[in-house]
Amino acid sequence: MNVDLSMFERFAVTFQPGDIIFCEYEPGDNFYLIQSGRVQIVKILGDIEKNIDILQPGEIFGEMAILEEAPRSATAVSLDKVKALEFNRENFEVLMKGNPQIALKLLKLFTKRIYDQKRRFMILTLSNIEARVADVFLMLAEDQPTEDPDEDQRTFSTKVEDIAHWAGMSYAECKKVLNHFAGQRRVEIYEDHIIVKNINDFQRFVSSQRKKEKAE
Amino acid sequence: MPKAVRYHANSVVYFKGDTNDRVYILKSGKVSLNYNDIETGQEIHDIINTGEFFGVKSALGRYPREETAVVLSDAAMVVFSVPEFEQLVLKNTRIIMKMLKVFSNQLRRMHKQVRNLISEGKDGLEPEEGLFRIGQYYLKSQKYHQALYAFRRYITYYPSGKYASEATTHMEEAEKALQGGGAPASMAGMGTGGGKPSQSAEQREELSETAKKYYNAVSLFSQDNFQAALEEFKKIVQANNSEEYVAKSQFEIGRCHLGLTQYDKCIEHYTQMIKHYPRHPDLRDALLYVGNCHEKMGNTGKANGFYKKVLSMSSENEVIYRKAKRALRELEVSK
Repeated sequence: MNVDLSMFERFAVTFQPGDIIFCEYEPGDNFYLIQSGRVQIVKILGDIEKNIDILQPGEIFGEMAILEEAPRSATAVSLDKVKALEFNRENFEVLMKGNPQIALKLLKLFTKRIYDQKRRFMILTLSNIEARVADVFLMLAEDQPTEDPDEDQRTFSTKVEDIAHWAGMSYAECKKVLNHFAGQRRVEIYEDHIIVKNINDFQRFVSSQRKKEKAE
Repeated sequence: MPKAVRYHANSVVYFKGDTNDRVYILKSGKVSLNYNDIETGQEIHDIINTGEFFGVKSALGRYPREETAVVLSDAAMVVFSVPEFEQLVLKNTRIIMKMLKVFSNQLRRMHKQVRNLISEGKDGLEPEEGLFRIGQYYLKSQKYHQALYAFRRYITYYPSGKYASEATTHMEEAEKALQGGGAPASMAGMGTGGGKPSQSAEQREELSETAKKYYNAVSLFSQDNFQAALEEFKKIVQANNSEEYVAKSQFEIGRCHLGLTQYDKCIEHYTQMIKHYPRHPDLRDALLYVGNCHEKMGNTGKANGFYKKVLSMSSENEVIYRKAKRALRELEVSK
């Protein structure tokens, strides 16, 4: 992003590794533009801390609080020593007017997030749990450009618990479905990755299932 | 160059599933965006008003169209490529701001829908409870630094909340663990080495001692034990160990007076406080309380003045603004 931010130096804040920048459920007034260091976005679901994203310098976070009054939807923790510019509702408009590039970047960020959320939602609308797990792989495949479009086999370095999360089911339930797929030789499950033998097969399976459920 | 184009009634500008990177603005005529609601499957027809953009999201996000744009009556529109659109809005941030608001609303709605499906029945937590639970989670996983943060925020936002005294106790636990533990366990699992805020250990201890006293007093206040809380806050002010906590305590002392229905004392205290701290972070709340006191004492004229003062110092989207507005309304009704 070619934007001169030196004039915003007075808004700079620093965080030590492990500092909470803001916490889910807190009322939010500020949003941040990372200048150096990485920020992890997590959500605490019961007894587990789920990694949502790791943000790099140049990225923006906490921006939703600025547009509407609502509590934070996740927790932001600094991974490294983080330097960020901190903006609030009052200077947000000034920043945006003075830096339309940042505003545009934010707008694009939102289009992507809306799309991602919709995609996730589509998975969850499937009532057949096998189709749901298969659709998670389709979603992951869409985000992961292929080297060879003719290749049916795909490798995902995704953990079972993450797949369970996307599919909106328990770990045990998800593991059962995966084992069933493995029994059919449609997937191979390894310690740190999962191979889908034929992604097109999953594609056909999911779309026929979607049609069937729609007709019901 | 953006192009002006005309479409006849019943023609289609683009189909759902199409990929093209065009953004449209409707000049005249009528266009409908047709799609199925992702939750109910119901067919939705969104009518575009003249002067409105459409096709923005999928063009900017570079994904397939999610709706079919049908022309209902002869229409004129201007078509932009993505770079042309970007050039236009870069010169006109008002458009971006407006779109940001619309998008952020949509995003929130989506988040909620997803959440509803994931935790069927188990509704999202109230913010108060959620914040407290996060503190508990970090405490349990021995991330004391983070636990402390969450509980502190809890106490700040909900000083008289239902978990206030529990939060205070947990904070003490976390502080103790941090001081005793040497290498803070809070860093475990963060994947990074040490790095504490650069304060000397001694200073930190002093501060946390005062903080402890302060939160203890806050806890008393939250249990409506105003007299005991008042005495504790006064002690913190007298000891004068931490500028931050002295200022915070000064504010709380006024609230204690209010709780004890000592209205004249409350007014006097806040008058002094404002003189001493003309930029106190809770200045507007203090003025609101002064207004409350005047109202309770029957000086509706003065109360009115203070509420209006608070209004003039706030912007419409702030909580304090709404509080003052409500107080004014109630004052009006009781007249």
